Amino acid sequence: MAQATTAAAEPMVRLERVSKRFGATLAVETASFDLEPGSFLTILGPSGCGKTTLLRMIAGFIRPDGGSIVLNGRPVAADPPWRRSIGMVFQKLALFPHMTAAQNVAYPLKMRGFPRQGMAERVERYLSIVRLGGLGGRRPHELSGGQQQRVAIARALVFEPDLLLLDEPLAALDRKLREDMQLEFRRIQRELGVTTINVTHDQREALVMSDRILVMEGGRIQQAANPVDTYARPANRFVAGFLGVTNFLPGRLASLAEGRAVVEVEGTRLEGLCADPSLAPGAAVAAAVRAERVRIAGTGETAPDESDVEGEVVEVVFEGDRFVYELRMPSLGGIPLRLFDLDPLAHPRHAPGERVTVAWRHRDLMVFPA
Amino acid sequence: MTGSRKAAWIIGAIVAFDLLFLALPTLVVLVASFTPGTIITFPPPGFSLRWYGNLLQARDFADALWRSLQVGLVCTALSLPAGTLAALALARFRLRFATGLQIYLLLPFTIPLVVSGVGLMLVFGRLGWLGAVWPVGVAACVINLPFMIWAVAASVNHLDPDLENAAANCGAPPVHSFFTVTLPAVAPGILTGALIMFILAINEFLVSLMLTDARTVTLPVLVYNAIRSIITPDLAAVSVVYVILAVAAIWLLDRLVGLDIFLKSKQG
Repeated sequence: MAQATTAAAEPMVRLERVSKRFGATLAVETASFDLEPGSFLTILGPSGCGKTTLLRMIAGFIRPDGGSIVLNGRPVAADPPWRRSIGMVFQKLALFPHMTAAQNVAYPLKMRGFPRQGMAERVERYLSIVRLGGLGGRRPHELSGGQQQRVAIARALVFEPDLLLLDEPLAALDRKLREDMQLEFRRIQRELGVTTINVTHDQREALVMSDRILVMEGGRIQQAANPVDTYARPANRFVAGFLGVTNFLPGRLASLAEGRAVVEVEGTRLEGLCADPSLAPGAAVAAAVRAERVRIAGTGETAPDESDVEGEVVEVVFEGDRFVYELRMPSLGGIPLRLFDLDPLAHPRHAPGERVTVAWRHRDLMVFPA
Repeated sequence: MTGSRKAAWIIGAIVAFDLLFLALPTLVVLVASFTPGTIITFPPPGFSLRWYGNLLQARDFADALWRSLQVGLVCTALSLPAGTLAALALARFRLRFATGLQIYLLLPFTIPLVVSGVGLMLVFGRLGWLGAVWPVGVAACVINLPFMIWAVAASVNHLDPDLENAAANCGAPPVHSFFTVTLPAVAPGILTGALIMFILAINEFLVSLMLTDARTVTLPVLVYNAIRSIITPDLAAVSVVYVILAVAAIWLLDRLVGLDIFLKSKQG
């Protein structure tokens, strides 16, 4: 333990080939990642992707079938949860209903054998960090949803754990409060510099809060990258579809050279980028383009680095900051295509039935194995 | 406007009638107990506390009341650990035979009390327990245990499923977490159940009738025996003692956990 803490580059958390099987289902398959001290990682994925199982294995509530979990240089996979230096904010918070906010926050200090002296000051300090100063005497049911969140955060952080785990604690909040709390979590996390792993199915939350995003699906880690890279360069079709609003155009690969691909979709050739050099011409592929990268172009208005395709407006919705168009693309076999016009006040609105030309840059078309 | 006012009037009338109907027997007995005469009549011909005075002097009533309280205490003491642990186990752990176990625990409740009474009488007779007061408490616990389990289970079901995980995450080993988190968190249900069990036990009649004799007779049984011979107003006074006990229990419950929790756990 002593030698492990000396190296500055040592990760705070290291998972190596951690697996868990429930009966016939493989919940988590050989998950490995490192997490640097002080960083904020979000495990993002749909429900049932294994993200919660992975988090609960780190917390110690579920014993992995194989692999190792190292926390601050110490292997912890065999330790019970109460011997791990991990604070956790639970999905439904799991505040102790019979204790006041201050007693909730003091509980980990008592259980972990902190000296009585100075305990009250420490509880008060953490309550004020989460901006609940003066409310320590209230019971959980006397506090609002947001205040209860804050008590749960203070309870998870008061003993200064090596790692903070967040098990979708924001999922139950309404949108405004959720967005406020996202920023609040981030503020507290930066202020205290605590290494944090967050679990969510909310892509926006992952993009807003994280230094790094781990996208999971089917028990496997699909991509681990920072938010911008995850959004801009998704590793595969699943990640491309899970983050953002993405149109998939099924086709065949016509050619691929130096990452530049030509895809044939129902007889129309489209240029795009492909990061998978193993794909051979003729392979079934999915070309993907995000809704906000597609624009409605006047005829002859397209640039040389753009693809343009004819489409027919099926539906148009005004959302204040955007028009959302649903199109049908006759030259792409009639597949639907969604696009965002992000300047709705300056652009004319195209009515359903109208034929339009849509365009996107070649580099905005991402080509994945189907 | 008039329609809704009319509806409100009708509903109000129904509620008033229900309330009156529920309270009427108690009120009649209460008023009748103050009669100066020698038979129970309503309305009483005058006002007197003579039957209460009689009651204070009647040793058999006082002794029977004391025995009933003992029965209540034995029953409550037994059902506290049994009901609490059963409810926690059924609601919190994934037991292999949970459904079967639940049915088994509810069994005393589904068969007529007369049958339970005969069964208990045979078993207690075999064990040589008849002739003592405490076995009546054991019997009351056996037949009423589902009430305790329901009261606690209602509290347990309100708990966050991650509560014990949260305690473990805070550094509490399982035994610590049970005593500092789980038990206190379900305390309202335990208290509710304990008071229900106590009240049911001191009121228990049918099974007590079979398990008691002249030396161990409990108050409800004594009242029944008295009715069979001659109905005197001291019985009305005894009934008032019961009303007072029940009111005291409800007051205690309200002070300790709040009646809203009591009513909620009864639904559970």
